[in-house]
Amino acid sequence: MIPAPSETAPSVEAATPALAASGITVRFGGLTALDAVSLEVQPGKIAGLVGPNGAGKSTLLAVLSGLLRPNSGEVFLHGHDVTNASCRSRSRRGLARTFQQPELFMGLTVREHLMLAHRARVAPRRLWRDMLDPRSLLPPGKEECERVDQLLELLRLTRVEKAPVAALPLGISRLVEVGRALASEPNVLLLDEPLSGLDIKASENLLAVFRQIVDQPGHEVSLIMVEHDVAAVLSLSDIVFVLDFGERIAVGPPEVIRNDPAVRAAYLGDTDPEPGPPAEAAPARGDPA
Amino acid sequence: MLQFVIAGLVLGGIYAICSAGLVITYTSSGILNFAFGAMAFFIARFYYFLNTQHTWPILPAAILSILIAAPALGVALYFGLFRFLRLSSPMIKVVATIGLLVAIPAAAVLIFGNQAIQSAPGLAPQPVAVYQVFGVAVTLDQVIVYACVLATVIAGALILRYTDVGLKVRAMVDSPAMTDLSGTNPTFISVGVWAVSTLFAGLAGVLAAPIVGLDPDKFTVLIAASFAAVVAARLRNLSVAVIVALLMGIATSLIEGYLPPSSTYTTEFIDAVPFIVVAIVLIYELLRRGRVGETSGFGGALDRAITPQGESRLAGSTSSVVETASLGFFAKYAGPILLIGAVAVVPLIVQGYWVGVMAAGFAYAVILLSWTIVTGEGGMLWLCQITFAGVGALTTAQLANNHGWPVLLAVLAGGVVALLMGVVVGLLSIRLGDLYVALVTLTFGLLMENLVFTLPSFVNQGLGLTLNRPGFATSDRAFAYLCLAAFVIIALFIVNFRRSTTGLALNAARWSEAGAKTSGISVVQQKVIAGALAALIAGIGGGLFALSQTTFQPSEFATFEGVVWLAVLVTWGVRSNAAALLGGVSLALLPAITQNYLPTWTSNVTPVLFGLGAVSAARYPDGVLAEQSRRLRRLLLQLRPRSGGTDMPDLTLAGSDVGQVAPARMVEQIS
Repeated sequence: MIPAPSETAPSVEAATPALAASGITVRFGGLTALDAVSLEVQPGKIAGLVGPNGAGKSTLLAVLSGLLRPNSGEVFLHGHDVTNASCRSRSRRGLARTFQQPELFMGLTVREHLMLAHRARVAPRRLWRDMLDPRSLLPPGKEECERVDQLLELLRLTRVEKAPVAALPLGISRLVEVGRALASEPNVLLLDEPLSGLDIKASENLLAVFRQIVDQPGHEVSLIMVEHDVAAVLSLSDIVFVLDFGERIAVGPPEVIRNDPAVRAAYLGDTDPEPGPPAEAAPARGDPA
Repeated sequence: MLQFVIAGLVLGGIYAICSAGLVITYTSSGILNFAFGAMAFFIARFYYFLNTQHTWPILPAAILSILIAAPALGVALYFGLFRFLRLSSPMIKVVATIGLLVAIPAAAVLIFGNQAIQSAPGLAPQPVAVYQVFGVAVTLDQVIVYACVLATVIAGALILRYTDVGLKVRAMVDSPAMTDLSGTNPTFISVGVWAVSTLFAGLAGVLAAPIVGLDPDKFTVLIAASFAAVVAARLRNLSVAVIVALLMGIATSLIEGYLPPSSTYTTEFIDAVPFIVVAIVLIYELLRRGRVGETSGFGGALDRAITPQGESRLAGSTSSVVETASLGFFAKYAGPILLIGAVAVVPLIVQGYWVGVMAAGFAYAVILLSWTIVTGEGGMLWLCQITFAGVGALTTAQLANNHGWPVLLAVLAGGVVALLMGVVVGLLSIRLGDLYVALVTLTFGLLMENLVFTLPSFVNQGLGLTLNRPGFATSDRAFAYLCLAAFVIIALFIVNFRRSTTGLALNAARWSEAGAKTSGISVVQQKVIAGALAALIAGIGGGLFALSQTTFQPSEFATFEGVVWLAVLVTWGVRSNAAALLGGVSLALLPAITQNYLPTWTSNVTPVLFGLGAVSAARYPDGVLAEQSRRLRRLLLQLRPRSGGTDMPDLTLAGSDVGQVAPARMVEQIS
């Protein structure tokens, strides 16, 4: 297991965390969805975010990705304060995400999803300049094609590259979202339940992909993964954050979390000798969502 | 002062009844009924038919028209149309009601006859009794309006707040699915809501007839004014809508009283009051929170969960997407190229007058292309393309006549002026959501029509502004081909646009705002680009159209005429360049044919057909042309022995039914 930062001094070993949030509070009317939640992820590390349904995990991802403004608290991306920055400017700084309900572009093919995300990051001016360029009718550039081909292969999407996403089942839609996120060359990737809807083989493949992305030399990527498959999260993550009713009830390396009494009471089930997902909260791996 | 308030409350009261009817159906079904004015006109016309033309006494005529025919119309429309729209995308909902807006007044003329009606009586016996209240003359018609407003507001509030029916309606607004599960039949409630809403429409129509006259356009302007109150109420809040409506009426009356009555600007300013209210509300909303949630509020989590996958978000267009993606270059473009070629030959075959008709048709086709880009690609419903066309034509006339510009350069400049307006309108409305885009563009169109196009120097005593065609294309035939060339160039631009990064990003912004934003794409930027390009195209088309007529005639660019154009395009298909060409040609050709060869009453059949065509967008969102070519393709694929193409429909089915099919098998099927 990779040594993980301890709870008390998370920022000792690295100067600037890839993504940091402090004191995030979100209220929806009278409901406090997040109550002063803090989180810090070092470059090249995988953070797991777990908690029962309604704990505020997706809300936290929405705040981190800029879709939701917190009532209070701050978000830092590579040391830059992005609390009030738009999704787009966060994306330009290397933040990408996937969604619990895939947010795909129904008129585009799988390949076009990856191509578009790639261009939006590496050549954002093409978003408006290309309409005046008749070369749009020609095949896209070689470098871009290579990168997209590589990602399609990595995610085993090559066979569906020309399929419009509207016709894809949920599991494959998730892979397309992961591919779109990776095509934007992120350095921080937020994943909202990436494994739900995947069969065992596909989710093992995807976990291997995540490991590979983080471990690739020269380009450090941090992952933050919300996932109900606790076994997968504990085996993959360097650090795990546990939320319950909008509060962070525990943080630490997986082996600490596995034995944390508060976490076991709130989420893992106190009597369970081996950590596993509680029946009502988690779809089993491979379940069709 | 008091006299103005009393007079203003009449207009405000009618606005209030309309906005109440609009809010009720919007909150309970998510449909903002653009056809409300058309329904009001239909019932008012029916009342006039009974009371004046067939000398029925007031009471039975009112009971039959307002209390029986109006709710019956609502129920019929619910079963015929609205119940299919509940889960459709906001765009399809608006398109369908716009179809009704076009079809209903024409149907009324077909049913009740085509005579010009100078003045229509209200619910008070003629001659109308006049009372003195605090020294102010009040007519019985006005008293009846007050009574009706009070009755509807009080009864509505009491019923919604305290009765079992009200509870069920409110439950339905929150969640149709939960209401269904708890043993209440949502159909029953929906039918009731539509019946009440059309009853309000009928009541407003009969009350408004003595004030605005029995003219469908004026009715729809009246209802468009009520939209101001509905926008102020953020589409949902009934009491705010009623209060704003009443205040708007009073404000209008006060302005009327205190501005110099002889000035033409006074009447124009009065017409503009509701639209100024809309502008103020929108700017306030933009400053306050940036976005008005229009789709998020409808239904609960369960409703979203049981929404058939695809239906609400895809607006039914997936099947065509799936099919076209599987086709090669030839199969994809052979149809449109053949069609454009066939239409291009027509000006060579026909003679005289008909060549001019074809030239106008090609100019219309250019204007229709603006919707191909903004609605077909961008998924937004802009209702002021005809206004942009008018701006283009006006600019062309001004620059060519007064400043000696070469006329084609002036046409381009007209497009640029329209483009700038498109950017402003887009920035004001797009952030707020797609429904507001429709409302704001409609408002903008009416505002321009009332404030700018009516200026005496442009109307020129009904003559309009004369325009000279460029020297090399003075004949109708040469000019027709000039327009066709412009069409082909713009159509090629659109083909390129679709495949460009800009087009892909626009598609992304259309289907998933969250997905687009987090991929680094600005939703507003892409949609404003689409709106601005569309305005440019419409402006150029407008200039060409004016040249085809050799005059700029402001009255040809009335906003509601533009709605008819949209209905025509939607009928043919809003995603296809070839459909725009057919739409443009049919816009010019059909009236010419009915005028020259058919009995006069048939001139109202075409709007009914095109209105119904737009209504059918609920079922075939891609239009007649796409639907027919899809059938043709299927037939060809079936005739071909090779397998491959024919399993496409299965694929769509499998996609919506994820749980049943293992992903691995899906991959097999797709490849």
